[in-house]
Amino acid sequence: MSNLLSVENLTMQFGGLTAIDNLSFDAKNNEITSIIGPNGAGKTTVFNCLTGFYKPTNGQMFLHKDEGKISLRKYTDFKIAHVAKVARTFQNIRLFPAMSVLENLLVAQHNELMVASGYSLFGLLNLKSYRDKEQLAVDKARYWLDIIGLTNRADDNAGDLPYGDQRKLEIVRAMCIEPKLLCLDEPAAGLNPKESAELNKLLKFIKTEKKTGILLIEHDMSVVMGISDHVVVLNYGKKIFEGTADQTKTSKEVIEAYLGVDE
Amino acid sequence: MEYFIQQLVNGITLGSIYGLIAIGYTMVYGIIGMINFAHGDIFMIGAFVALISFIIFGLTGVALPVILLLVLLIAMLFTACYGWTVEKLAYKPLRGSFRLAPLISALGMSIVLQNYVQVAQGARVKPMQPLISGGLEFFKNSEFVVTVSYLQIFIVVLTVILMGIFTYLITKTDLGRAQRACEQDRTMTALLGINVDRTISITFIIGSSLASVAGMMFVLYYGVIDFYIGFLAGIKAFTAAVLGGIGSLPGAMLGGLLIGLIETFWGGYVSLEYKDVAAFSVLIVVLIFFPTGFLGKPDIEKV
Amino acid sequence: MEKKDIIQSVKDSLFTGIIALALFGPIVGLRTASKGEGLFITPQWGLVFILVGLCILGRFLINLNSARKTEFTFFSKFTSKLSSVTEEKAKHLAITAILFAVVFPFLPFTDRYFMDVAIMILTYIMLGWGLNIVVGLAGLLDLGYVAFYAVGAYSYALIATTFGWSFWICLPLAGIFAAFFGILLGFPVLRLRGDYLAIVTLGFGEIIRIVLINWYEVTNGPDGITGIPRPSFFGLPFKRSPDEGEASFHTFFNLEYSTMHRIIFLYYLILVLALITNYFTLKIRKLPVGRAWEALREDEIACKSLGVNPTNTKLTAFAIGAMFGGFAGSFFATRQAFISPESFTFIESAIIVAIVVLGGMGSQTGVVLASIFLIGITEMFRDLEQFRMIAFGGAMVLIMVFKPKGILANRKPTILMHGDKK
Repeated sequence: MSNLLSVENLTMQFGGLTAIDNLSFDAKNNEITSIIGPNGAGKTTVFNCLTGFYKPTNGQMFLHKDEGKISLRKYTDFKIAHVAKVARTFQNIRLFPAMSVLENLLVAQHNELMVASGYSLFGLLNLKSYRDKEQLAVDKARYWLDIIGLTNRADDNAGDLPYGDQRKLEIVRAMCIEPKLLCLDEPAAGLNPKESAELNKLLKFIKTEKKTGILLIEHDMSVVMGISDHVVVLNYGKKIFEGTADQTKTSKEVIEAYLGVDE
Repeated sequence: MEYFIQQLVNGITLGSIYGLIAIGYTMVYGIIGMINFAHGDIFMIGAFVALISFIIFGLTGVALPVILLLVLLIAMLFTACYGWTVEKLAYKPLRGSFRLAPLISALGMSIVLQNYVQVAQGARVKPMQPLISGGLEFFKNSEFVVTVSYLQIFIVVLTVILMGIFTYLITKTDLGRAQRACEQDRTMTALLGINVDRTISITFIIGSSLASVAGMMFVLYYGVIDFYIGFLAGIKAFTAAVLGGIGSLPGAMLGGLLIGLIETFWGGYVSLEYKDVAAFSVLIVVLIFFPTGFLGKPDIEKV
Repeated sequence: MEKKDIIQSVKDSLFTGIIALALFGPIVGLRTASKGEGLFITPQWGLVFILVGLCILGRFLINLNSARKTEFTFFSKFTSKLSSVTEEKAKHLAITAILFAVVFPFLPFTDRYFMDVAIMILTYIMLGWGLNIVVGLAGLLDLGYVAFYAVGAYSYALIATTFGWSFWICLPLAGIFAAFFGILLGFPVLRLRGDYLAIVTLGFGEIIRIVLINWYEVTNGPDGITGIPRPSFFGLPFKRSPDEGEASFHTFFNLEYSTMHRIIFLYYLILVLALITNYFTLKIRKLPVGRAWEALREDEIACKSLGVNPTNTKLTAFAIGAMFGGFAGSFFATRQAFISPESFTFIESAIIVAIVVLGGMGSQTGVVLASIFLIGITEMFRDLEQFRMIAFGGAMVLIMVFKPKGILANRKPTILMHGDKK
């Protein structure tokens, strides 16, 4: 399997605090890579560097695309999603709560729709070419809603959905930008076992059917162990272990990091 | 050179006034994260209370230092009531509302206060006879005589004294600790048994009292006020707070001095008509290129 | 209610009274007035006691608990009823309102005064609709909207007086100019957080006003620009005695000359301009850019994570809002035939923001209701100008406290998957 993402010597400092210390790891195509670690290990900071919200102090991040590898450092802000096609979700769900479910999914297709609407000009003239494109976007939204079983709630406000559905909606919203890499920040947080199982199914579907690489931060070990192909363990900003889910379970370093060491 | 020194003296005086108002902005921002848009109008009310007290005591023939002290206390007391009430009516019910709500509410409060004073006190400008006259003169042999009036000395000295008391209050007392704790995490502070509502109220009371002192200085210094002075002074003081780093108390004072100096020097050397434009431009430039100011903490967005 | 509660609430009311006395005592009770040399105090204690009494009574009534709750539920019931009615009957209401607006000039009771008020209300409706794009949809609190109104008015006035071009050429130019200013200001500042943006736009509004006052060579300073050409009816001027060989509106249509012709024409002009603004907003709200505005209002970070360019998106909202402000400004200039910096103070910005906020951010109907209410009704009490502003400010506070989403707060999705179920 070919590499999708390579992180090389990534370091992030806030003032005197080193949140990530010389971290390197790879994530492969069509695999689910999990980053785990105790609280404060720097997991979310890794995400924020990857998705352009922070500018790392040092190090490189490369995304391998068909047309060659690109450096994620060059893209900040919205360009990470728009140009590099790296999508993400957030620890504390960030939907557009006062907008409908369908609208949420259309905002994710904003850039294509902007072009289709001739930067609003064709849209204002109500040209057929735009209306067709809009219909395509709605169809794509329907496709994803069918998968997560929310089609009948398409016209309700996203903020009115139950918590578990909001999580799933946020994930498929990210999928609507057709990402190469999908970064999920604790997607199972706050889900009950049934919802966690549904989440596992959805992530496996994305991995196998959509050929999208997934990078996952998670505390819920049933999710991590159930679906991860590859696990990276962080502690105090450093990588302490890397391997398959089964290897991780038995690793001495990992158990020490989580449970502490007997003196 | 002499002209420069004169402008410097004037700038520092003006800066003291702005600095005192700026503290109110910066404290409120620190503790509840909102821009108290009505703060400039609280300053204006302080100036009016001071003016009214000056007139009343002026008739009694009491010695000047006694008058100054009494007026100071009265202005602080009554203006603090306004600050307290504004917080209770317009801001407290909005904690937890959407982000722009307190700002709009504050804007409404500012309109109310301005027009209320206009109705109650009339729209005309209110002139007052100078109370403190005379001063020290320097460079008497040169072309340009630099005057440092006793009033300017009074203003700067009073500001320094108040700043001293105030710094002590914030750094050394329980109240100050409670305030700083609220800045960090209001929920946690409440869980530790600190009365957060009371702490916020006191913040408004302190901010308003300092603004009222600035109001009194303004009356004495310019000798004329109207119901509209709060708008411009408020914006300039806000600029000062941002320039110094919003949330930082020494920053507010420093920013106040800088804005006072910028305004006087611009007025003295460039053009008097555009001196307010200078203040606004500084505000815009600072906010765009330098939003954390000199002494502010960097604002990392939590994702 | 128990005795203890009553004693408690009496105590509380008396405390309120003391505070009220401290508030009103010096400012209301001791009115300063200049007499000859210097100031004197005119006491008005009677008024203070009335005010303090009202505060005590009001506080007591609120303390009787139930009073507060019923009052409030009544208010929110009324507004939500209003919201649902306006939503259900939106089409009918809109058609009725437009029809009424069209026949209004010919209704028997309509006189010159009514027409002037109606034109003013329509101007504010247009401004409100323009600002609604910025504040209501994109969620950017712009406290300097009057600057674009001023830019529109001045560029119209300057172009029209310098080149003598007709209204229909100057109008779009003024709009483009205002939009250009919007981009110029917006580009650096739109990255700022919401509350900072509000202050910066306020500062920009004041800068424009100060420049207008001081730039004599171009703006003629505080004296303003006079002799701005009036609009003509497709080339037919509204003059009593047209020049030799030239037709005037009344001679062409064989009518008795009346100043009302021009007023009625201006009325229809602003009506059409306002309706265009509305139509445009309703349309663009359903386009990708409109959805992106609302998404930015909801969550900017989520927008970035989906690849939406926040700066450009905000910039379009800002520029389009400014453009409509500019159009309204041109209309203002041609109607008054005279403009001066005095018409473009901060308080105008505050009034327009109040209209948008009170009506319900993002609600087009809300803007209409708020304009009629704020401008129309208070216009009837012009002598009480300052009280009207107190009521304005007070209403802003109350709305934020009790109904922060505004009176009409229902939002309809811009696109439906399942069609209208109802």
